[in-house]
Amino acid sequence: MAGIDSEKYKQNAHKAIADPVLQSALTSLQGRLGPATKKLYNTLPEGQELRKIAHQYRRKAIDNLDVLLETLAENIRSHGGQVHFAPSAEDAVEICVRIALENHVRTVVKGKSMVTEEIGLNDGLEQAGIEVTETDLGEYIIQLAGERPTHIVAPAIHKTREQIGELFTEKLGTPYTDDPPTLTQDARRALREKFLTADMGISGCNLACAETGHITTVSNEGNIRMATTLPKLHVAVMGMERIVANLEEQQAILRLMSMGAASQQIGGYVSYVGGPAAPGHSDGPEQFHLIIVDNGRSKILADETFREMLCCIRCGACLNICPVYGKIGGHSYGSAYSGPVGAVVTPLLFGINDASDLCSGESLCGACRQACPLEINLPRMLLALRSKLSEGDPSWQVKPARNQERWLFRCWQFVNGNRTLYNLFYAVARKAQKILPTQDGMIRKLPYPFNGWTSQRNMQPLAPKTFMQRWQEKQEGKK
Amino acid sequence: MQQTFISTIKQALGRSQGSKPAEDLFTTEPSEHEKIVLTQIQQRTSAQHNANMSRLREVTGPLYVNLHEHSSLEETAEAIAALIKEKSPEWGTEKHVCRWDHPLINQLKLESLPELSGIPIHTTPIFDVTDQARPIPSSQKEQFRAQVEQSFIGITSADYCVAATATLALRSRPGQSRSVSLVPSIHVAVVKEKKLLSTLEELYTLLKWDPAERKEGLTNNLSLISGPSKTGDIELIMVHGAHGPRELHLFIIGEEQ
Ligand code: SF4
Repeated sequence: MAGIDSEKYKQNAHKAIADPVLQSALTSLQGRLGPATKKLYNTLPEGQELRKIAHQYRRKAIDNLDVLLETLAENIRSHGGQVHFAPSAEDAVEICVRIALENHVRTVVKGKSMVTEEIGLNDGLEQAGIEVTETDLGEYIIQLAGERPTHIVAPAIHKTREQIGELFTEKLGTPYTDDPPTLTQDARRALREKFLTADMGISGCNLACAETGHITTVSNEGNIRMATTLPKLHVAVMGMERIVANLEEQQAILRLMSMGAASQQIGGYVSYVGGPAAPGHSDGPEQFHLIIVDNGRSKILADETFREMLCCIRCGACLNICPVYGKIGGHSYGSAYSGPVGAVVTPLLFGINDASDLCSGESLCGACRQACPLEINLPRMLLALRSKLSEGDPSWQVKPARNQERWLFRCWQFVNGNRTLYNLFYAVARKAQKILPTQDGMIRKLPYPFNGWTSQRNMQPLAPKTFMQRWQEKQEGKK
Repeated sequence: MQQTFISTIKQALGRSQGSKPAEDLFTTEPSEHEKIVLTQIQQRTSAQHNANMSRLREVTGPLYVNLHEHSSLEETAEAIAALIKEKSPEWGTEKHVCRWDHPLINQLKLESLPELSGIPIHTTPIFDVTDQARPIPSSQKEQFRAQVEQSFIGITSADYCVAATATLALRSRPGQSRSVSLVPSIHVAVVKEKKLLSTLEELYTLLKWDPAERKEGLTNNLSLISGPSKTGDIELIMVHGAHGPRELHLFIIGEEQ
């Protein structure tokens, strides 16, 4: 599912909050993964300091992307792999479809990959008549249900075992059960068939290592190893920022990512893929293709304010702690990228205006930054996005916010800067508020254009006296 | 395409305005700390070996790795044979086993054990040991692929085993098929105790700086395996055997006294 439908943010958030199943799933997800990750950071042999150092590794890689990508491409070619560069989502899809058609591919098995979700690769392949099967269990469930993932690492967390049982009965024809091990076994059987017969395997790339010329894949299920070992072709798609210079840096970040993603010291299966099967080897793909995707990333790179966002390794740790995500879930964000990371990345990749609600919805509490294995300053960038929305920015094609709002703030600034005016304003407002409807001593509804503020909450009425007045009275009383 | 792609990046990085790439991106020699790690591995005392073993015993349980310790090849072979007899196949009724063509696994001589007679043990084909670059004929590849699919147990060794995380490091080489540790329902890994490392840091430092390791490189496929296949995708309930092996049996062969 390419593109976004983030304009329905508010509507979807309402729905999510009213969904008791989703609410309990989100609570249990955050209750389990959030604290476990935090605890693991304390066990780092290098200490918490490693998170800061790893941030610098990432930053250095981003600042030297040109050199690193060329080194990676050269090394992979020397291992017998083929490297393709895709400036846009369409280019990437086209390259992948072309490789598939040239090799008469009919069926594809896929490992979970955010970037393929972002560029809408499945749609492209399906339009070319190729069958695509997602093989990560969560993604498989989502694909069968025709939905979007609701979490970067746990895509089907919003579905109950009963719903999955019904889905499997309907789509796979297996007898109904709500027992997770049996359901997993049903999927295992169905997918094993796909793995063994697929013509092509597609994976993402967690973090490439330029110096050695390898991409890496990480999974706990083993599905990515299956998809990249058994079919004759392996195509890997990577966002151009998912790279570091050398193995020392790569392993440090990989360990941090495992902690952030699944509260593990290291993912169950980590593979370094440098090329196709070497001659003399009895298995492994005959061809290895790497597609490196820009799709708006160079624009982020060029803007110093947002360059830090390219350090993100999409581990999902910020989702597991965010109080807003914890209530509204992943679907509200209307994009492959949800939660705090999505609130920054989605507007930057798909248009700040089109996804304007996302950055306004987050609370700026700072929890995401603390949870992020690389301490990426998401709150700072959320704020920067908000300021772009208010002031406008032609370089990002952002129209400034409604004039009304700006005029209002200008007036407020004027009133606030003049004590007499301020007192006068309060005296009038204090009288005027008496005609507003109240509930338990709180104002229930403000008049237009302020009614939005009270649509979800009651408001404390203005106090009978300002602080300054009370202070003055107190001082006089002392005399 | 590559040229325009990279020049877009260069522009975004402000290369034309004088921002230069860093010169120390790629490391060419180990840091002082890494040198210490390397000596530590080379000069491991038996007390440290024992410490690694006890660490491994602690972590294998929570990671659902079945740890077996034996002091000789014969004992190990017997234990593996018992496992083959005891377990039943997941997909069919016939028992097949596949394995690497690897010195340590060959020494187990599983094929000659009387209790395993009648159970086919398929060995990864090597076309010509003297010329590793010669491709294996596709008919032979296909035949072995079918045998791996039939097998319910796959037996491999590993280059290293990291005690702190029960991580096995497997590189692809002729005779060391990738699918043997992946497609069968049960993965049996056999490792000599001296291949035990204490931490992931030691593993990566070796791979990066040890002259022999450096020469071979990571190969086109290095897999790090820590435990059997697992998933928590249905209501976060942990289930083993999502796509890869349901069970992982790690056999450590101690030094013979
Ligand atoms: S912002 Fe940090 S925590 Fe969130 S996905 Fe990216 S790397 Fe992970």
